[in-house]
Amino acid sequence: MKEIATIAIFGLLAALLPLLIGENPYLTGLLITILMMASLSSAWNILGGFAGQYSFGHAAYFGAGAYTTMILLSRFTVNPLLTVLAGIGVACMIALLTGTIVFRLRGHYFALASIAVAEIVRLSVLNFEFTGGAQGILLADVTLWGVDLNSKNPFYYGMLVVLLCTLFLTAYLKRSKTGYYLQAIREDQDAAASLGIDIARYKNRALLMSAALTSVTGSLYALYIRFIDTSAVLDLRLSIEIILTAIIGGVGTLWGAVLGALLLVPLAEMLRSNVLGDLLVKGGFIPETSTLGLFLKENLAHAHVLVYGIITVLCILYLPKGILGLFRRRK
Amino acid sequence: MIQHILHITHVSKHFGGNVAVSDVSFSVDEKEIFGLIGPNGAGKTTLFNCMTGFFPVTSGDIIFDSKKINTLRPDQICRLGMVRTWQRVKPLGSLTVLENVMIGAFSITNATGEANIMAMEQLHAVGLSDYATKPAGSLPIGLKKKLELARVLASRPKMLLLDEICGGLNHTETDSILAIIRAVRNSGTTIVFIEHDMKAVTSICDRIVVLNSGEKLAEGTPEEITTNPAVIAAYLGGGHHA
Repeated sequence: MKEIATIAIFGLLAALLPLLIGENPYLTGLLITILMMASLSSAWNILGGFAGQYSFGHAAYFGAGAYTTMILLSRFTVNPLLTVLAGIGVACMIALLTGTIVFRLRGHYFALASIAVAEIVRLSVLNFEFTGGAQGILLADVTLWGVDLNSKNPFYYGMLVVLLCTLFLTAYLKRSKTGYYLQAIREDQDAAASLGIDIARYKNRALLMSAALTSVTGSLYALYIRFIDTSAVLDLRLSIEIILTAIIGGVGTLWGAVLGALLLVPLAEMLRSNVLGDLLVKGGFIPETSTLGLFLKENLAHAHVLVYGIITVLCILYLPKGILGLFRRRK
Repeated sequence: MIQHILHITHVSKHFGGNVAVSDVSFSVDEKEIFGLIGPNGAGKTTLFNCMTGFFPVTSGDIIFDSKKINTLRPDQICRLGMVRTWQRVKPLGSLTVLENVMIGAFSITNATGEANIMAMEQLHAVGLSDYATKPAGSLPIGLKKKLELARVLASRPKMLLLDEICGGLNHTETDSILAIIRAVRNSGTTIVFIEHDMKAVTSICDRIVVLNSGEKLAEGTPEEITTNPAVIAAYLGGGHHA
């Protein structure tokens, strides 16, 4: 109950935030990205954190949602929300196919297979005609119930709703038979099987929930950006960022993914816009024309992946339970 | 009339050219405490693994509660009411003691509240109530064995397979586990008991089967087994007499 209340309060505060910041497309855009990464990592956490099955290919489900929505909307006049449902269907089909084949195996096969499946999806999309191939798909405008979805606020609230759904589901799972069974599978598969847990079935269940939520986020992202190609929605880089956000925040916890996204998305944004380089150079710490100054100016903008990597290594070494683990007393 | 609840008929298990269990047959009666003993490598744990679906049998049949179970998965066999413990205990380390037992209880209920109550009862029965909120991985071995027992008992099994549940325990701990096992049998559960230590087995079992090198060496009451020359030879080595 306490967790449900906390989520509700978080949701309320987050819902009021746009009123506070007013008309600020840059900041709203950043917040949407934070909510999106928080949703994606939370959804990943249902499978990775509870069942201990690390998917390195969640971009496939994100892309399934994004592409289904864009393909349908670029051809037919349909309610965008229906395309979100269709995206869930496609993502669940991919998930079911992967899970049925791979979850019979033990060990790291799922992690490996998830990369393979995501790459198969990416390469298929890249080479088919109807998916727009390498050019991607562009959508001029999107309307829902006669309203033009050109402003950012509807997507802020859309992403927030998906995040809240994912958090509520996670909180429910923590106290339900399914959630306990998934944790038992994570801890010891033989023990779990000997206690009557149908391992493949429960792993599939977690994968389906995770894939469906990821796909909804993908559909929303596509409606928001209105241009997608494989490098934006199906790239391995996205899958990795989803995992890193969860690991750095705290795997298997309710708020870890949110915390991870709150920290990492602004950090990546800062590095991308070279805030750090500007600070060092303009602050007078490093002369602008020096070799180091030029180097920083040129390269720091590309450094966010490197910084993610360094943070992850530090987290694994010193905070195996993520940043959230710091605040958690040992039971 | 005594009912057989478990039939093992001509069961063999080969690993490549190695014969781990060879043509073993026996039956276990309802509400019996049945001992499965033998020296190291006799095939006791392999037989358990076959009975609980972790290994497919090479040949033979395993009938539990009038159902042939040799092709079922471990979780299906558990849900039929035959549940095992592990020689090397397998606590779900990061979950609490209570949550571990709740996972056992979830095989007979879907409601978390109900599972919680049943798990607390079971923890009380084995004397682990004080540790309910501790992480299972933090318990010492004696308590981990009790947790292992509480967890399977929470699923209210018809038949319990205990793999060296007293292994590595001192006398007091062994006695308290044996007391729990007697109480469980008195409440109507059949027990098959793998044990190394002859003394623990003979004090509690109604009947015993002795395995040696994968084959059935002897079957009978504890008195018959302890006086059987072949059994004594297997335990102490050929030519010696106890």
